[in-house]
Amino acid sequence: MNETEKQALEAFSRGEMTALDLRRRLGGATYGEILSLLSEVELPLPRAPVAGREEQIKRARSWMFPKHVP
Amino acid sequence: MSRDLKLFVVDTGPLITLAVAESLDYLLYVDADVVIPDAVLHEATRDANRLGAQDIIDWVKAHRDHVEIAPTKAYEVFDAARVTMPNLREPDLGERAAVEVIEEPDRLLGNERGLLLCEETAVLKRVVVRDRERIVELSTLDFLRILEAEQRIQSAEQVFELAAKAGRFPSRAEKMSAHDEATRAAIQGLVKRSPPDLER
Repeated sequence: MNETEKQALEAFSRGEMTALDLRRRLGGATYGEILSLLSEVELPLPRAPVAGREEQIKRARSWMFPKHVP
Repeated sequence: MSRDLKLFVVDTGPLITLAVAESLDYLLYVDADVVIPDAVLHEATRDANRLGAQDIIDWVKAHRDHVEIAPTKAYEVFDAARVTMPNLREPDLGERAAVEVIEEPDRLLGNERGLLLCEETAVLKRVVVRDRERIVELSTLDFLRILEAEQRIQSAEQVFELAAKAGRFPSRAEKMSAHDEATRAAIQGLVKRSPPDLER
């Protein structure tokens, strides 16, 4: 893996690049290959930020478990 | 399959992440029909030696009552083109197929609602506005956190950590020769297409 590819992986891991952009950057890599590469350089999977999406997630939870949502 | 809630798996991320963490069954912890566009299944499994690929195929086969592999024109055209261009790749094929499936006029009827499970954000932007009131986009981690909050699973983070470490354990990646033809045949067998006389 070259330095440019590693920087792209780091940007993806920080949530600054989409998986689709990263896959294109890595010459059409699959998501599975991205997982392998992240493991190789010991980077975590990106976490989509919850801030700004609270209502959306609450709505999804109420659809998924309508009897249990307070 | 006919529940009011449809869980559309619109890119390969959720399938592969859950497969390598041996947690695909979590998709069935919700009372919903699981819908996977054919192209998304293809991308996730096109080489059986890729992380999670064989697990995904086995899981789909084992849960045909709850999982629909939705046929799309996007994949049909791609599959036909591969006859002359075997190495053809289209990074956004899954996304285009997902948009096609979600926008099918009879996909969400009456009170039906859709959850889009994905790692990408591009799909929802392409869905027609009229459906946004009953479509919510969720990341894999959002989905897992809801299951955790409902005490259906122990830890969402644990699943993610397992997935992140999966590539360090090559023994967990299945090895199979002649994988492309095998997975292609598997997908063709799983896709539910209308009989020709009903398509007219």
